[in-house]
Amino acid sequence: MKKSIVFAAGLCVVLLAASCKTKPKDEYAGIDGDYVSGVPLPDRADGSSYLGGNVSKGQFQPVQFGFDSFEVSGAEMGKVQAVADFMRSGKGDVIIAGFTDDRGTEEYNRGLGERRALAVREALIGKGISAGRVQTVSFGEEMPVDSGGGEAAWAANRRAEFGVIR
Amino acid sequence: MVNVLLRLFVVLGLALPAFAAEEPVITVRKGDRVSLTVAPLGGSSGAAVTKVLQKDLDLAGWFDVVDAARASYTVSGTAGGGSLQGKVTDGGGGVVLSKTYSGGDREAAHQFADDIVETLTGNKGIATTKIAFVGTASGSKEIYFADYDGNNSRRLTSDRSISVAPSLGPGARNLAYTGYHEGYPDVYIIDVASGARQRVVKAPGTNSGAAISPDGGKMALTMSKDGNPEIYVTGLRGGMARRLTRTRGVESSPTWSPDGGQLIYSSDNGGSPQLYRIGAGGGGGSLISTGFGYCADPSWSSDGKKVAFTVRSGGGFSVAVMDLAGGGAKVVASGQNPVWGRSSRHLIFSSGSNLILLDVPTGRTTTIVSGLGKVSEPAWSL
Repeated sequence: MKKSIVFAAGLCVVLLAASCKTKPKDEYAGIDGDYVSGVPLPDRADGSSYLGGNVSKGQFQPVQFGFDSFEVSGAEMGKVQAVADFMRSGKGDVIIAGFTDDRGTEEYNRGLGERRALAVREALIGKGISAGRVQTVSFGEEMPVDSGGGEAAWAANRRAEFGVIR
Repeated sequence: MVNVLLRLFVVLGLALPAFAAEEPVITVRKGDRVSLTVAPLGGSSGAAVTKVLQKDLDLAGWFDVVDAARASYTVSGTAGGGSLQGKVTDGGGGVVLSKTYSGGDREAAHQFADDIVETLTGNKGIATTKIAFVGTASGSKEIYFADYDGNNSRRLTSDRSISVAPSLGPGARNLAYTGYHEGYPDVYIIDVASGARQRVVKAPGTNSGAAISPDGGKMALTMSKDGNPEIYVTGLRGGMARRLTRTRGVESSPTWSPDGGQLIYSSDNGGSPQLYRIGAGGGGGSLISTGFGYCADPSWSSDGKKVAFTVRSGGGFSVAVMDLAGGGAKVVASGQNPVWGRSSRHLIFSSGSNLILLDVPTGRTTTIVSGLGKVSEPAWSL
């Protein structure tokens, strides 16, 4: 009896090893070393969006970006810190909305705006804020704060805004 | 220099779509264009149909529409009472095409035109295809739908939100687009005939830029739910999202190969947006060297041989075309968001308040949409 159990266990080990061997290659095999550390977004909060009435905007200064860049510069980190301090006190969760200037194509700018929002989200997480409290959205080049052309307008439009869910 | 390149392209552009891979390569020169004449059609709708036919055959690009004395083929027929009887004869009077079409005058003429293209050149015509695009005439970005020549345009959405990035499924039966109706960019699908709409991708973050696969069964799009904007492939109802890319940068604007086996998309992972090619089942993306610093909005031609895309230089946008077999990329027009027609010789792109139809081999442009505000992001059905 005991022997057969041992045998069965042994067979299981062999089968497991075999199944490991025959397991299909990971679907992302061959791209080792690529970026895998994005923090998944939480489910959307029911009934709230950046355009909705239950999100207060303008409470915090927007984070500004360089041309075609999604890096949060050291100079902008103070703005992120202010939001982190607010959130640490346990008050509202936030939606970060990313925007771009209009010097790119529309769809690429939607991606870039999202990447900016996610970069600010990562900075908040880096300051100890729970990932589950921070949503993102991109509006790309829509809704510019300055619809004139020129360097000053473009710079003003490259931003990530904070909306606090009430 | 530009002229020489254009002329080179004329030769290549005409030669490529005309022959299947197994057949011997025959160089078709500009002089090999097919000459035909359109004899005014008889019947109560004859005049109307003749006008549409002439325009279709002219825009088709393959033909020299000439007077009867110099024509190799003669197009004739009778139209009226919801029926079009079309006929094409060769120089000896032999009938090469004879067919009856039903439906509206314009629609019947388009069908006849595409049959003429296919019969005389072996290529797919564009006359029966549809386009979709973004227009701002109503005060907000909405999705419009029209015939390939801009006729019969109508607004499909009226959300007074932001409705953008349309993609048409095969036969223009359905349309995917990015809508901010619920405050987040989500992917919606509209059944064109019924107008029924469904929100099919509503993952956290941004969902945008869906491209319906050539077989109509899948979509490729950008999603950020896992923490970065990446390319995913999903079913048309949004389920089974499979992630294809993993980088630190921004991936966007996927376009399908004609067999659905690969995708070209843009990624700024190397600093500025560049084009990459990836298997639709996964693997790594490989860079397509175009020689341009900013490349976005790729469109893969349905003969599989070329990619058109937007380049940015000197503060403006240009439309570029590249031969995927290794030719250099060339700027063919000023504008953005190019998309190939199923002829693989025509592009539609946006330029301010106009949509432009470009016949790439000849460089001829025709404005097909204007007066609908700023127009952008055209899509073209196969």
